[in-house]
Amino acid sequence: MRQYMKIILLVVVLTMVAAACGSDTTDTTEATTDTTAPTATTEAPTTTPTTEPPTETTEPAGPTTIIIGTTDTVSSLDAADAYATADWELIKAFNEPLLRFQPGSNSVLEPGIASLPVASDDGLSWEVTLRDGLVFGDGLELTVEMAVEQLNRLMNVDLQASAPNQVGNTLAIPYVESIEAVGDDTIRFNLLGPAGFFPQILAGAPYTITHPDYFALDEMNLLPASPIYGLGPWIITENTAAEQTVLEPNPYYNGSYPAKVDRIIVQRFASPSAMADAVREGEIDVAWRILGAEAADELKTVDGLTVETIPQAPIRYLIVNHADGFVTSDPLVRQALAAAIDRDELSDVVFGGAVTPLYSQVPPGFLGANEAFEDAYQAPNLDLAVSLLEEAGYSESNKLQIDLGYPPEHYGVTTADGVLLVAQQWEATGLIDVNEISQEWSTYVSDCTNGVAFDVCVLGWFFDFPDAENYLQPFIEGDGLGTMVLCPNESCGDATTTGIDPLLGSLLIDQRAETDLDARAAILEQLQDVYADAVVTIPLWLEPEFIIYRDGIVGDSSLPNPQTLNIGPDFEFLYSVLEVTN
Amino acid sequence: MHPLLIVFLVFGIPAGFALGWVFLRGSESLRRYILTRIALTLPMVLILISVVFFVLRVMPGDVVSSTLGPKASEETRQNIMEALGLDDPLIVQYFRFLGDVVTLDLGDSFIGARRPIVDELGERLPATLELIIPAAIIALGSGLLFGTYAAIRRKKPVDYSLRLYSVIIYSMPIFWLGLLLRLVFSVWLDWTPIAGRIDVVTNTTLERTTNLLFVDSILSGNWAALKSVLRHMILPAATLGLVLSGVFVRLTRINVIETLQEDYVLAARARGIRERIVTYSYALKNAMIPVVTVIGLQVAILLAGAVLTETVFNWPGMGRYLIERISARDFQAVQSTVAVFALFVALISLAVDVIYSVLDPRVKY
Repeated sequence: MRQYMKIILLVVVLTMVAAACGSDTTDTTEATTDTTAPTATTEAPTTTPTTEPPTETTEPAGPTTIIIGTTDTVSSLDAADAYATADWELIKAFNEPLLRFQPGSNSVLEPGIASLPVASDDGLSWEVTLRDGLVFGDGLELTVEMAVEQLNRLMNVDLQASAPNQVGNTLAIPYVESIEAVGDDTIRFNLLGPAGFFPQILAGAPYTITHPDYFALDEMNLLPASPIYGLGPWIITENTAAEQTVLEPNPYYNGSYPAKVDRIIVQRFASPSAMADAVREGEIDVAWRILGAEAADELKTVDGLTVETIPQAPIRYLIVNHADGFVTSDPLVRQALAAAIDRDELSDVVFGGAVTPLYSQVPPGFLGANEAFEDAYQAPNLDLAVSLLEEAGYSESNKLQIDLGYPPEHYGVTTADGVLLVAQQWEATGLIDVNEISQEWSTYVSDCTNGVAFDVCVLGWFFDFPDAENYLQPFIEGDGLGTMVLCPNESCGDATTTGIDPLLGSLLIDQRAETDLDARAAILEQLQDVYADAVVTIPLWLEPEFIIYRDGIVGDSSLPNPQTLNIGPDFEFLYSVLEVTN
Repeated sequence: MHPLLIVFLVFGIPAGFALGWVFLRGSESLRRYILTRIALTLPMVLILISVVFFVLRVMPGDVVSSTLGPKASEETRQNIMEALGLDDPLIVQYFRFLGDVVTLDLGDSFIGARRPIVDELGERLPATLELIIPAAIIALGSGLLFGTYAAIRRKKPVDYSLRLYSVIIYSMPIFWLGLLLRLVFSVWLDWTPIAGRIDVVTNTTLERTTNLLFVDSILSGNWAALKSVLRHMILPAATLGLVLSGVFVRLTRINVIETLQEDYVLAARARGIRERIVTYSYALKNAMIPVVTVIGLQVAILLAGAVLTETVFNWPGMGRYLIERISARDFQAVQSTVAVFALFVALISLAVDVIYSVLDPRVKY
């Protein structure tokens, strides 16, 4: 018996030692000879290809793999449902949208599978023409009727009601009256009202044309079985929700951005620290979303790694409750709060200077963006804040009591630290007592946006489509995500608000109908000034986002921002621009 | 065949045969005891999942607000609550959930792609098993080895060292030990991978059947994958196993010391049997009885430890899944996961009691 035990023990030890001593880390930048086809998790639809794949333009440059790490998860790959940034990134990889933003650009539109749109004279309809020879990754040819049918999934009220993310209810149904085919290759979008920013909406993932065998007209298919075919440069050959997504070139793709490598693997991580370690040790080639300033800073010292900050990013801001009954319903109080904030101190103390102070709800770079809060308050301006508070009737013996809500974890600890520093800045006036209320995200977000629990609360925002409209409209119309600024209306419940400049609502409507860019920019600037005067929200800072990549991974030098692998202010990461140089 | 079913068959068939063998060969009282334990397991699981169901419902927050954030309008919220059946009376939701459990359906997740929970568990449970089984082997193996060695070297420096080790290792936070081991062996020495279950590229070559990557790589003859799986397994399993080994070291040591003072050990020595045989064959076997009892209790701790270990090592198992779903208020996933955990612990507890009766024939039920 003892001999057997010894043998077993020896085998176990030898196995462990052999395993530990070897290295299985595959150098992904070198030739990969394995051609084993990745295994689909279940059977995929079997549409018979109707077209043979072309052979000349889609030949990859070399047998290479690039591994992209992320802390994002995939919630939905159905274009008629998906809303998250990570989902849109994958959808646009296997399904080219009608239009796209030029990779790396400041939201410059260019044709996707369709031409740039042309508006009717009254601005109520837009037409796009499909590119010739569009074929899905499995060989199925696209017809304009098929395209319209698939796009109408966004307009299907019953289908949208069953969708977890309801993107159609946000980016289609409020704007579009109908979608129809015109001729053999043209799609017409009839709008409910003029919307100068509609081309930007068309460049979103919801307006990709999905494969009819995977995405039925009357049913959502959030995570189809792989392989998943579309009209984009890639095919999703394998997708395990918790671990990885594997993409390989689409042999039928005939667009401007064919794949340059053999394979992209998107590897998911549970935490930013695990992803940071993986890129440091060379287990992944690229780390993209969401890493945090501290980890990015540490990686700057690692040889062979490039750390770049994306030039534009999500914003952090304070929702200010305007509803009667809250202390912030007094415009003098709101203006005093805006005047007392020191954004430079927030950037320096909390983020070590890594974030950009934000002086308007519309970030720099968007049409009409200005610095309305800086112009109005020259913050930090404690003298102005004190005089406004005294005018509102507050004193050292009768201090303003503010309930300030924040989530301790959802936006990371730095946002929580930033909010607490804002509280200190307000209290430095000597006339304000802040009651900081920390709440777990799932309760916090509804308490904040319902406008019933806090005077002021912090939130983050990232655009649904890159236009100033999307940074202003959500905080003004309806319940304003808790600002209640234009109440009463059907979204406000019992809340009422008084004394708001009526220009706030009318300028928002005016800029939508304006097709001349200069005139629209002027309206937007005026709107931001009125917004700052009313202190609808208080913008704080632009949250930085980072991309880290190993030497030898390059973007397209003929396009803007190759140093960020052509990820521009719109945050779009087009995998097709990636190459391996060694 | 569904991976979850395969996993249950892989472990259930041998366990079923063993239980059947013990049942048939055991005494009448043992048979009665086994039947009673099985009968009691069901209400125990029912009570547990019922408590979890109602506690989750009284917790503040809801799944729609949590997942959609500020962009969820009231209309959207209502639509989704209705689609998920969360606007039904609580009692209706409760019996619907019980129905799902009884039919082994478990329903669909509330968040993400709303996949069937059995599919999600089919990916996650094998990962957790692949972590806790080697961890249990490390914990038990090192615990028995070190404990016995400390006992036979009682009051020697090595005894004091091992006792100190057991206290320190057991009181060490798992996540901290994991980060420490990762820093030393992965970052500084570069002996083991940083995180994950398998090398990213190798993973694409592995044909999955059970989602137990160790088993799948053997079944498919993919030795590169097997090597990668073993390399990835070492640190997480060692982290979890070493922390739990502390209690086994102390327990084994004290029981071996006591057993070595028994008359039959003295008699064995008097007969000239070699000391090693006396210690490892005579004393350790009897000292194992209380250790086996503790194993059952440690399984629950093992699962709890897996939550932290999986987070540190980016291990896509049940622990991480549970944490994510609690944060998102995905009631359906949380209560289903707890039900699986509860069933797992109950079955291990039953197995331990049965083994106990085999190890110690004096035990009467």
